[in-house]
Amino acid sequence: MTTEEHRGIRSYKEDRERYAGFYALSQQSENPEIRVAGRLAKFVSEARDTILTAHEEGRPFVNNNYCTAPEITEAMDIPWLMLYEAPFMAVSVEGLSDQIDETGAMGLGTDLCTAIRSSIYYVEKDLVPVPSAVIGFIFPCDGMPMLHQVIKHSKTWGHIPMFCPDPPYFNDDRSIDYFANELKKMTAFLEKETGAKLDMDRLREVVEESDRQYLLWQEYNELRRAVPCPHGYGLGGPMCFAVSQMFKVGHKDGTEWFQNLVDLTEEKVEKGIGAVEKEKIRLFWFDIMPSGFIFEFMPWLEEEFGAVVVMDMFGNHPYTTIDTSDEQEIWRGLAKRGLFDTPMVRQAMGPAEGFVDDLVRIVKDYQIDVVVWPGHMGHKETQGTFGIMREACRELGVPFMDIRMDIFDRRYTTPDQIKDKFARFFAGIGVG
Amino acid sequence: MSEPASRDVDDAPPGQSFDLHIAEVARLVEELGAAGRPTRVWHARGEADALLEKLPMRVGPGAHSGLILRKDVFAELGSPDAGSCPLLLWTRRSELIEDGRITLVGPGLQESEGASLPFGQVVMVGGEALDKGDQSALELKQFVANQIEGYMIRRAPGRLWSRVGREIAGKGFDFEALGAALIAIFKGELPKIRTMQVLFVTSGREDVERLGEIAEEASLIGAELAKEAWRAKGFDPAACSVSHDCGSCSEQQDCDDIREVVLLRRQAKRAAQSAKKAKRAEG
Repeated sequence: MTTEEHRGIRSYKEDRERYAGFYALSQQSENPEIRVAGRLAKFVSEARDTILTAHEEGRPFVNNNYCTAPEITEAMDIPWLMLYEAPFMAVSVEGLSDQIDETGAMGLGTDLCTAIRSSIYYVEKDLVPVPSAVIGFIFPCDGMPMLHQVIKHSKTWGHIPMFCPDPPYFNDDRSIDYFANELKKMTAFLEKETGAKLDMDRLREVVEESDRQYLLWQEYNELRRAVPCPHGYGLGGPMCFAVSQMFKVGHKDGTEWFQNLVDLTEEKVEKGIGAVEKEKIRLFWFDIMPSGFIFEFMPWLEEEFGAVVVMDMFGNHPYTTIDTSDEQEIWRGLAKRGLFDTPMVRQAMGPAEGFVDDLVRIVKDYQIDVVVWPGHMGHKETQGTFGIMREACRELGVPFMDIRMDIFDRRYTTPDQIKDKFARFFAGIGVG
Repeated sequence: MSEPASRDVDDAPPGQSFDLHIAEVARLVEELGAAGRPTRVWHARGEADALLEKLPMRVGPGAHSGLILRKDVFAELGSPDAGSCPLLLWTRRSELIEDGRITLVGPGLQESEGASLPFGQVVMVGGEALDKGDQSALELKQFVANQIEGYMIRRAPGRLWSRVGREIAGKGFDFEALGAALIAIFKGELPKIRTMQVLFVTSGREDVERLGEIAEEASLIGAELAKEAWRAKGFDPAACSVSHDCGSCSEQQDCDDIREVVLLRRQAKRAAQSAKKAKRAEG
């Protein structure tokens, strides 16, 4: 075992304790919503513990991704981590800007998506435990294959066997069949590299539990249609994603978390209680939330303007349940979910028409007042679809606000610049 | 309803009209009726305002919050377990559509308290002035977000999954009212529509799936029309952004390969559709 590997394990141990601490603190709150949100910290801590336990016991663990059927690794009982989560989790620790600067010192171009740069940084600096096998995630953008090229050249990760399911471009039936077959190949790879076997009955159970989570997520999302919206940026959307696709995929305690969330929210909606005292503007944040400075920026939006993020890219729910009566349909369902439904992939890969429909439905269903187009610097495809989305908003008669920012790096477009832009925009459309 | 002479009408490009699908839907209704499925027909003719006066619920923007809580549900339509199929067909030959006709194949709402019914909804509209630019707007209008009191459309791409509230059901809300509301909304918002009829199928998952086969075929035309509409607005994702001659372009080989693949895929898709259709005709 190398020193660098120790660093990754040490980092996970610190995470485990830190998130357990967040959880304990949250459970002291009298506010049930804080307690529900806090359970996510417990899930993260448990996920870290699963990897650490596997490491200590000398059992294999792998890298998998939210969009390459994590249900399969769960059903095979293989502990898994997601390298790509690193930059998102890093926002909860200090020194994010320093990490980003160091990626520059490593020679990575500043025009490369910060999430990918940071993931590379985590590999090169050995900040993530080294898995026994890697399921690659080479879509939806050009940057993702680059991350995997770096992995193959890494001193500590380079020797790890890797399988990258090949994603077809189009979103039709033939593509689903193709990707379903890729997932079968992926399973064979996992069986070979870890010795675990996939039991289809167990996969069926995981998928059905996962479906229960998705149905509850849909129920919850529909509650966000209420005026005023019961929750803003602080609870819901991205958390639902994290529970169902990262930390509690097909787990009963994830389902219970969703059930609690729905119960609490129904109560709030019935009482007509909103996220803010006086909701004035309902926003659709058409990208990842500004992770790097979310706690500085979002409360300002809510307090200053009564502007509530009612829906966002990760909170969007286009998911359908999977037909578990037939084995092939299970594979196809998982393929569809990973390839067409999961966030970022849904928006960035394939023809833009599908997501125009999402945009239009979201604006109508959630009574959106303003569509915010953050234009994260790494999401190059947003430059290509920008005009189509703006046109769709014009037709709907809903204002469309273009920012252009780095959701991680506060120095790219600073929070103050963004605040200024919002203030002028809201004044311009007569709601500020 | 008169039979269309051919798939293509007026100046619509080949394969870009739904006339044959409209006829297929009519045939399916006849077949289901002949197979003993209970069928009811109502008529809701006249101006949108007049139609709305007779309804037990409010209709129009903001008539509903867009939300019905679980405990307030009278019935669910088109859940993933039960099966669902939304279908929107339009034609310039308005005489193909019997104006105001609302057809229900299967059980009605009032006798379905607590049920989760399969749900097929076909909206067919006719109007000489309709054109491909209306495709997206028409398709979207099927999903009335907050315009019918006590009726909520759930978010599920590719399907129509809805809830009927207990309170509105108590006031007599049924498929006749839903059909009339849809007619009023469509005609009120798109004056180009001259004739319109609505079909609901609740008789079983298999029946809804048969409707799904027609919808699948129609969706190819719908997608093509939507693409054309975007092109007409100046957004062509397939357009070349390199402004020099193809002959001297380093990307030419890639472009040619992509075109070839797209062509092959289209041919394969059409062949699969034809095979499916032939199989159905044999069966």
